[in-house]
Amino acid sequence: MLKKILSLFIILIPINAFALIEVDITRGNLNPLPLAVSPLSIDETSRKSFEKILKKDNIGSEISIIVENNLRISGLFNPLDKKAFLQAPDIANLKPRFEDWNLIKAQALITGKVNYVDDKLRVEFRLWDVLAAKEMMALAFTTVPSNWRRVGHIISDKVYERLTGEKGYFDTRIIYVSEEGPKTQRIKKLAIMDQDGANNKFLTLGNELVLTPRFNPTSQMVTYLSYFKNMPRVYLLDIETGTQEVVGDFPGMTFAPRFSPDGKKIIMSFAKDGKSDIYTMDLENRIVEKITNHPSIDTSPSYSPDGKYITFNSDRSGYQQIYVMKNDGTDVKRISFGNGLYGTPVWSPRGDLIAFTKLHKGKFYIGVMRTDGSGERLLTENYYQEAPSWSPNGRVLIFYRETKTNAKGEGFSAKLWSIDLTGYNERQIKTSTDASDPSWSSLLSN
Amino acid sequence: MNRSIIISSVLHGILIFITAMSLPFLAKKPLDIPPVVSVELIQIAEKTNIPFAPKAKKIIEKVKEKEKKLVSEQAPPKKVEKTKTKTVLSPDQNNQKIVNETPEAIPLPEKTVKKVETKEEKKQNPEKVDDEVKQVSEFEKKDLFDPNNIAALIDKSKEESAEVLKKNNDITQDQDRNIESAGLTLSEEDALKAQIFGCWSIPLGLPYNKNLLVRIKLKLKPDGTVSKTEILDHARMNKPGQAFYKVLAESALRAVKLCQPLRVPTTGYERWKELQLNFDAREMLEG
Amino acid sequence: MRLSKIFKNTLLVLTACLVLSACATKKEVATTDSIKGQMQGDVYTGTDTVEYLADGVPDRVFFATNESILTTASRETLRAQAAWLRKNPSINVVLEGHADERGTREYNLALGERRANAAKDYLMTYGISSDRITVLSYGKERPVDSGSNPLAWSKNRRSVTVKAN
Repeated sequence: MLKKILSLFIILIPINAFALIEVDITRGNLNPLPLAVSPLSIDETSRKSFEKILKKDNIGSEISIIVENNLRISGLFNPLDKKAFLQAPDIANLKPRFEDWNLIKAQALITGKVNYVDDKLRVEFRLWDVLAAKEMMALAFTTVPSNWRRVGHIISDKVYERLTGEKGYFDTRIIYVSEEGPKTQRIKKLAIMDQDGANNKFLTLGNELVLTPRFNPTSQMVTYLSYFKNMPRVYLLDIETGTQEVVGDFPGMTFAPRFSPDGKKIIMSFAKDGKSDIYTMDLENRIVEKITNHPSIDTSPSYSPDGKYITFNSDRSGYQQIYVMKNDGTDVKRISFGNGLYGTPVWSPRGDLIAFTKLHKGKFYIGVMRTDGSGERLLTENYYQEAPSWSPNGRVLIFYRETKTNAKGEGFSAKLWSIDLTGYNERQIKTSTDASDPSWSSLLSN
Repeated sequence: MNRSIIISSVLHGILIFITAMSLPFLAKKPLDIPPVVSVELIQIAEKTNIPFAPKAKKIIEKVKEKEKKLVSEQAPPKKVEKTKTKTVLSPDQNNQKIVNETPEAIPLPEKTVKKVETKEEKKQNPEKVDDEVKQVSEFEKKDLFDPNNIAALIDKSKEESAEVLKKNNDITQDQDRNIESAGLTLSEEDALKAQIFGCWSIPLGLPYNKNLLVRIKLKLKPDGTVSKTEILDHARMNKPGQAFYKVLAESALRAVKLCQPLRVPTTGYERWKELQLNFDAREMLEG
Repeated sequence: MRLSKIFKNTLLVLTACLVLSACATKKEVATTDSIKGQMQGDVYTGTDTVEYLADGVPDRVFFATNESILTTASRETLRAQAAWLRKNPSINVVLEGHADERGTREYNLALGERRANAAKDYLMTYGISSDRITVLSYGKERPVDSGSNPLAWSKNRRSVTVKAN
């Protein structure tokens, strides 16, 4: 009713002779926002100090390169070529000459400076709105010098948040399975790296098969599947201390583990006598609860961010499909009805979408759908790809892709890729070895 | 058996012959491609709305020149004195300790960056500072930090020179009396739209399923430059979960700035001296 | 002039047709031939990868895509295994279930388990105690054939009986 009255008013407005003229702007360009990342300025004594500690010639420009790369990789920004910059970094940071930056079509500008203060790295940065000729944001960080890459990531996150209205995802890490060796005898190790591929480290030695690592909400714990002593079981690993323990030591195979959103439970599949059901284990009191009870395969469970619902993969209809149920296992509803098979559902951190892998006519797709199954969108198609994992802000998916082998069984590779929700901006994430089963951490600086 | 082969081959022959006949290549020279006709979308006005255009134009141009001078004489924006707020990031002593240990024990570097607002204190506990990630925020304008004031800040993108505006009003008012229709003609509207479409960089990364409408009210000078902008749904900016709205509003304001002077009709200033632009990104992001 | 052009075109089309058709048939013959002898439906019936627990006792059975139903040939193999196990009561076995690479990892783990269990159930109906049988699924992690083609996949969809002691 109220709406009707309102719309009546809207219709009436143009009749008024002195009415305000309204023009609807429904189109614009969807090009990445052009911005300039001026190298962070650095005084000579600071530069020399850092050169000694970090073996980097100019830490100011190194940090700005990190920021630039992050913003470019996001696909939302277009960092302009530094060669076109007219103003020197130190002066730009004091007071940019906006006309100069306007001239090279930058709409935003990032400036800053680096200081060596009491053995610490102090980085100051400013974000400017070039067209409005005003400062949008200014922050400074102080940390141990070895932490300089993270400063670059945190700056990127702050800029991203200020310019998109959403949290960033740059100060994050990715845990994945590193793969080496022939396809029939793959050696797999848990590995962890920064979101941009730097600081890669191995967490296991490769003596046993490991699969599907996933972070807990604070990104300090990882749950994964290990074939230690040829018994496939769900394990828990504390990244900081390196301690490991078995959590799914049932008489059978436990697999497909994931944390609950509060980090207190692990939800997983337990396979016995040819059927797989979903169970949870409370990590404090070790109480095990059976969530599904069906003669079919129920696997790949994933909680909604509020913890009230669970999406999972089941073949109870005859083929692999995606289902949603309440967290106690009641009210099971099938949500995938398109052609083909559906697997690996993962609830987005925003709660509005479920990402999945789809297999149809010999092709694999990564896609998203709403939590009721409507609005299915396929983002990418390939010979083989699966296991999407969400960036903490719910805008980007990381997954792995395997290539076909030739007639001799050669040419196999597995790599990590990312794609954003629009289906554009598909990128390979460089890893030193082949890689699979990626899982994205939450923002480390929160 | 034989017969069917013969029939088949005859039919195939016919097919091949037809295909060969109808093949364009080899048989014909390439066609001359007609020159491209560039279609300009923009046609400022229809007959109905052109009263004394030439004269008005001259006057407007004069005003423009005056204004240019005025702009260049403007003092650069003032530097506001600094107000410091310090925030502390949480410690992480683990980092350096463990780095060189076995592969099983890889630490998270500096796990968290907890913000602790310490507005009043100038110096922190010296013991704590060790090995900490410190975050100092120096906002030149304090209100940037204060969510309640963000709206007001964006609103400030007004431009001065009310004097010029007044002058312009005097000049154009005479002509405006002749005009009866209140809105813009379709072609006038199209011209303006086309111009702003080109200037508006829609922020990528907006949530695609939310209300993405920003309404902006403009006060214009007769030459199409903007003297004042106002965002109409201020209240939305401070609502939780609407952070994207501020970003959207800023992008709309940037579009207006970038497009100046707007392609307004040459006449009828009274009609369009105030104008409302409804920026809606939804169609673009969904389609 | 014009006639010669038509003639030229005809020749061109003809050669194109011939070249294309030759390609198509040749390839088809090659693939179907190599598969024919080794697959029935999409279940592997060859012996390339098969090893023997004892004389006349094959160690593995094969499955159709997405299936865990035992074929007639598989049942025959398992009956031979059951007989061999009855003769050698001290031997325990591990049934290793596998899937091909054309599925998601987690589902394949479950599918491998289901396949191995199908074999286990059959052995049990022939009197082998469940205490002597352990089930282990590898999903798609341990293919025998690293190829990316239907024949390779059919070899990989299997349950292998391995001596545990």
